[in-house]
Amino acid sequence: MKLQLFIERATITFGLIFFLLPVLWLITVAYMPGSAIFASPPALGFTPTLKNFDTIFTLFDIPKLVTNSIVISLGTTILSLTIGIPAGYALARSQSRFAPMMAYFFLAVRMIPTVATLIPFYLVMRDLGLLGTWWGVIMLHTILNTAFVVWMMYAYFRGLPKELEEAALTDGCTQFGAFFKVSLPLVKPGIIACALFTMLLSWNDFLIPSFLTNADTKPISVALLSAFGVQDVTWGTLGALAHFSTIPIVIMTLFLNRYFVQGLTKGVH
Amino acid sequence: MHASDKDAAELPRNNHPIGADNQRRWGLNSFASRRKIFLILFCMPALLYIVFVAVLPLAQGIWYSFFDYSLMRPNRRTFVGLENYYTLFKNNEARTALINTFVFTFGAIVIEFGLGLVLALAMWRDSRFNNIALALILIPVSITPVAAGLVFRAVLTPDFGLIGYWAAAFEISSQRGFLGDPSTAMAGVIFIDVWQWTPLVTLILLAGLKSLPGDVLEAAEVDGASAFQRFRMIVFPMLLPAVFLGVVFRMMDAFRVFDIIIAATGGGPGNTTDVLMVYAVKQGLQFFNIGYGSAVANLMIVCIILLTLVVTLVIRRADRRINS
Repeated sequence: MKLQLFIERATITFGLIFFLLPVLWLITVAYMPGSAIFASPPALGFTPTLKNFDTIFTLFDIPKLVTNSIVISLGTTILSLTIGIPAGYALARSQSRFAPMMAYFFLAVRMIPTVATLIPFYLVMRDLGLLGTWWGVIMLHTILNTAFVVWMMYAYFRGLPKELEEAALTDGCTQFGAFFKVSLPLVKPGIIACALFTMLLSWNDFLIPSFLTNADTKPISVALLSAFGVQDVTWGTLGALAHFSTIPIVIMTLFLNRYFVQGLTKGVH
Repeated sequence: MHASDKDAAELPRNNHPIGADNQRRWGLNSFASRRKIFLILFCMPALLYIVFVAVLPLAQGIWYSFFDYSLMRPNRRTFVGLENYYTLFKNNEARTALINTFVFTFGAIVIEFGLGLVLALAMWRDSRFNNIALALILIPVSITPVAAGLVFRAVLTPDFGLIGYWAAAFEISSQRGFLGDPSTAMAGVIFIDVWQWTPLVTLILLAGLKSLPGDVLEAAEVDGASAFQRFRMIVFPMLLPAVFLGVVFRMMDAFRVFDIIIAATGGGPGNTTDVLMVYAVKQGLQFFNIGYGSAVANLMIVCIILLTLVVTLVIRRADRRINS
């Protein structure tokens, strides 16, 4: 039994090292001076510097990039939750035999490869003169996320006992009231998980904003790649940029870990 | 709706548009039908949104794929039937992209489920250590895929990379590095995908393991079944539904991989890591071959549907054979 526990712990430790080392590298490289990054053979010791942060603030308009990312991901989250949660509720409560089919339809929407909608959408946005604005990105992100929210909230609402709502309805509560005051507070974990996932997907996406936004409206995920190609830029800048793009979202997920794990499990099953 | 239609047919026609009779005709008084209307209204915004913003553009994409339509020559837009699809199957680059996509998807999924199963079994026990480890192991899932691709591109560089330098020095990789050499580049991008998504697979399998009935396993242990026998006869068959869902979800995402590849290799060297998504984006949105790009995108949709069907059939058959 002791041996088994040892093997388990050793496997987990090995996994932790494998999965966390690249993240640690991404964080530490931001404080490395160029001479340490481009040492051959690679050196492990270095004197920390904040020079990389100076570089990214002169090369990129960081506040604007972060604002764009926040606007796009918040816009997507609000829109997808507003239309997705009621739909998930309706499908979970409906007695119709079409309801499960509809739920699978929403699941199927998630399978669409992004280009298949992006190409026609690009033309529509061009004709409407909305290329280079946040709108196109928010609208396309909302497709995938709404499909996801409907599917996940469908699972959460089905897990609620119907009796509570029925009691509220017989006591004279309106249908909307029964949804809003009785059911909605009970699925709060699901709503938090949904918000976290839509936020994550929208914040991390690269493909859609790289074609639908311009220099003024592009989010930080698009800037990440250009950081690699720009002259005078080292991996240190990548690490420094990641402090504004990747690290905040990782910390957020760690804080909401309980909802994250629960949602990932429920969203799949 | 059907029940209230029948009621309406039995009622005498009423010429007053508003009134008690009319209300009864539409069954507005019965709670069941009011409930139905309420639920339909609740579902409508999401449904309409998906139809207008996802399904219509998809249909438009199918329509475009039958045209020779390029934004470089916007005035010429001729109907060519299936010619775009014909070109697609004749084109070497497209065929390479198709094969690469399948290799990537298959390779990534097999390794992710192998590693994920090992990790999930190791984390099965309920303990504080395992809970904290799970939270930390899940970090790669929330990392920006572009950043993940760039991190490995940097670490694997043969000149200065932490791993790449030593790998090249000890001739584990070629002098161009894992991602720079045509023979190992695909393995390199699969490795990045494995790094990012194995945690998710671990979580799915772990959730499956934790939902297994403990008494059955205990009974088997009391009856003297070895650990391997217990795994093969009880754990694995009961884990199949979790495996199935995990495979389907990972497959959809691996099949449309884009960010990791663009960041790590850009499809190169040569076109050894060029996948369908990269190819479709290049054709449709960089060269503005709208017709041809749409055809590639549609091919992807067909492939994903077929793959899902195949996985469903295979797992269902395995389920039947093991569990009968």
